[in-house]
Amino acid sequence: MATPPPPTGTLASAAPATPPPPPTGTLASAAPAPPPPPPQSPHTPSTSAVKSEVHAAEAAADSTPIVAAAAAAAAVSYTITIPSCSGWFSWDEIHETERRLLPEFFDGRFSSRNPSVYKYYRDSIIRQFRAQPWRKLTFTEARRGLIGDVGSVRRVFDFLEEWGLINYTPSAKPKERREAAAAKEEEEGETAERKEGPKRLCTNCRSVCGLTCFTTDKADIILCSRCYVRGNYRPGLSNFKRVDNMEELKTEWTDKENLHLLEAIVQYGEEWKKVSEHVGSRSAKDCVVRFIKLPFGEQFLRPIEDGEDNGPNGSYRSNDEVAAEHGGESLKRRRLTPLADASNPIMAQVAFLSGIAGSDLAEASARAAISALHKVHIEKSKFTNDIKLYSKRLLRRHNHSSRRSNKMWRNHYQILLKSR
Amino acid sequence: MRSLTLWSSKAPIKFRMPTAENLIPIRLDIEVDGQRYKDAFVWNPDDPDSEVINFAKRTVKDLKLPPTFVTQIVQSVQAQLAEFRSFEGQDMHVKEKIVPLKIDLRVNNTVVRDQFLWDVSNFESDPEEFARTLCKDLNIGDPEVGPAIAVAIREQLYEIATQSVSSLREARAGKKGRRGADTFNRPGNSALDLVKYFGSKGSVIRKRKDWYLYEPIVDILSNEEVGALDAREELNARLKRKLDEKE
Repeated sequence: MATPPPPTGTLASAAPATPPPPPTGTLASAAPAPPPPPPQSPHTPSTSAVKSEVHAAEAAADSTPIVAAAAAAAAVSYTITIPSCSGWFSWDEIHETERRLLPEFFDGRFSSRNPSVYKYYRDSIIRQFRAQPWRKLTFTEARRGLIGDVGSVRRVFDFLEEWGLINYTPSAKPKERREAAAAKEEEEGETAERKEGPKRLCTNCRSVCGLTCFTTDKADIILCSRCYVRGNYRPGLSNFKRVDNMEELKTEWTDKENLHLLEAIVQYGEEWKKVSEHVGSRSAKDCVVRFIKLPFGEQFLRPIEDGEDNGPNGSYRSNDEVAAEHGGESLKRRRLTPLADASNPIMAQVAFLSGIAGSDLAEASARAAISALHKVHIEKSKFTNDIKLYSKRLLRRHNHSSRRSNKMWRNHYQILLKSR
Repeated sequence: MRSLTLWSSKAPIKFRMPTAENLIPIRLDIEVDGQRYKDAFVWNPDDPDSEVINFAKRTVKDLKLPPTFVTQIVQSVQAQLAEFRSFEGQDMHVKEKIVPLKIDLRVNNTVVRDQFLWDVSNFESDPEEFARTLCKDLNIGDPEVGPAIAVAIREQLYEIATQSVSSLREARAGKKGRRGADTFNRPGNSALDLVKYFGSKGSVIRKRKDWYLYEPIVDILSNEEVGALDAREELNARLKRKLDEKE
């Protein structure tokens, strides 16, 4: 029975080569590779003291020898995964992120809180977790084995947990566990935390991304707006692109909603609150977004932007006309460039569409859209008539405005030409 | 610069732990409905009070204690903090005292017995660093031993600090009657007479016959011994409680 006492003094994550199988039935087991070597005291039920027994000892003790051995063996080859946002972690050094987020150890204010103490806390906690990575390491367990004041230990512990360096894998989310199982060995496990599909999770704080996310090409991560603003991502990442979560991904606009939208726009114009009321199930912002996305949407922008100088749509269309007259394609492209790289995807889309689509095409698409809507199943014929009426009105407005703005811009452009 | 004469540090300073960081030892021993929770750790009194509640909740959650423990833990910690704070405004004397500190504790299977000299006037001292080094040097495997040693050291230092506050108060009260030079001269009960040791005839090297006194002893107990000790402790505690109740 003589089971040798486990190697003392190490918090190594590798199990000893031949883990001694614990004798069945008794609690006095030499549990292999426990985070702290197991306290061999039996759990005498008479002592009702809540001892700080490491759960490892109990778990290994209660299980059969085979399972325990397997667990020990598993401990050796268990894949430790950490999120890619914590890829900076290394045993040998202290990273900028750590210095930034735990300044108490690095600002020299307290002589006993210094980088080596931080490293001791950090390394001990991580080693303790990795010795049993299938279990969630509790703060109390961790701090019981660390010499220091519980306040600073707690801060280090919370930091490590937040960044997924401990307690990362055994999460309740089945998708993450699947991904963790499929992840590569060693620490640089690129766990694809981004879920393809309607729901997006921030790689950093693992919260659902709300309206906007930020993503970058350099790393395959998504950040929620809070993490982006706070800078909670690994350094070296730049060129963040803003991605607005399209609500349509969640639900498609029904034809009825589209109709209501058009009606409301014609009726109320730019008062999006009233428009959204009329539509009913969509917020004002949704309505605007949807409206702009409609194929003929940007045409309606022009009457509104009449008053503006250098309205981009106006200038583009005038460019089209001028281009037709003068064949100056390059001018159109030059005018396009200020907006072409707009970070706001809506504006970019507007610029793109209005630059490409000439006024004739816009007109044609408006007609086509209208006729398409016309074919949609409408409950009352009244709607059909209304639609016809509205669309005629819209086209008329479009023609009016385009003519008006064309003249304006043509004059403006000619003046410019003469001045060269 | 601090001069090294015995009489130099007459100017009293505000009460604090004579260590680099002003951390205090907290000891908990709570029993509710037959469940006992014993713990000892080091706390930073500069942490906000909300930290106490968070700590209590977290501990109860981690150890799966019944929720009634939360309030008990909070009360106990806050009581000890309040006691510390009650000393804080007062003056204490920084005497050039080297005191022997004793370690005699059992944590799980490990028994540690040690005795060493500590300079109480050294405000750069770090019990945690000492405990870490001791555990490393003695190859103590159980990581829970270290914190217990640090807490034990701090408790003794705390005791000494509070004694110096009260002795200063007495000295001040007594000053009106007599010259208070006595209290400054007397090195105290347990402090070493530095003159005797480091004076002209003394030497810093310890006499061989005293070596055994200052040697650390680490014992690993078997499970049966631990069980026996636990049972005896439990019995003693129960008896003591009964006696307290009777009074």
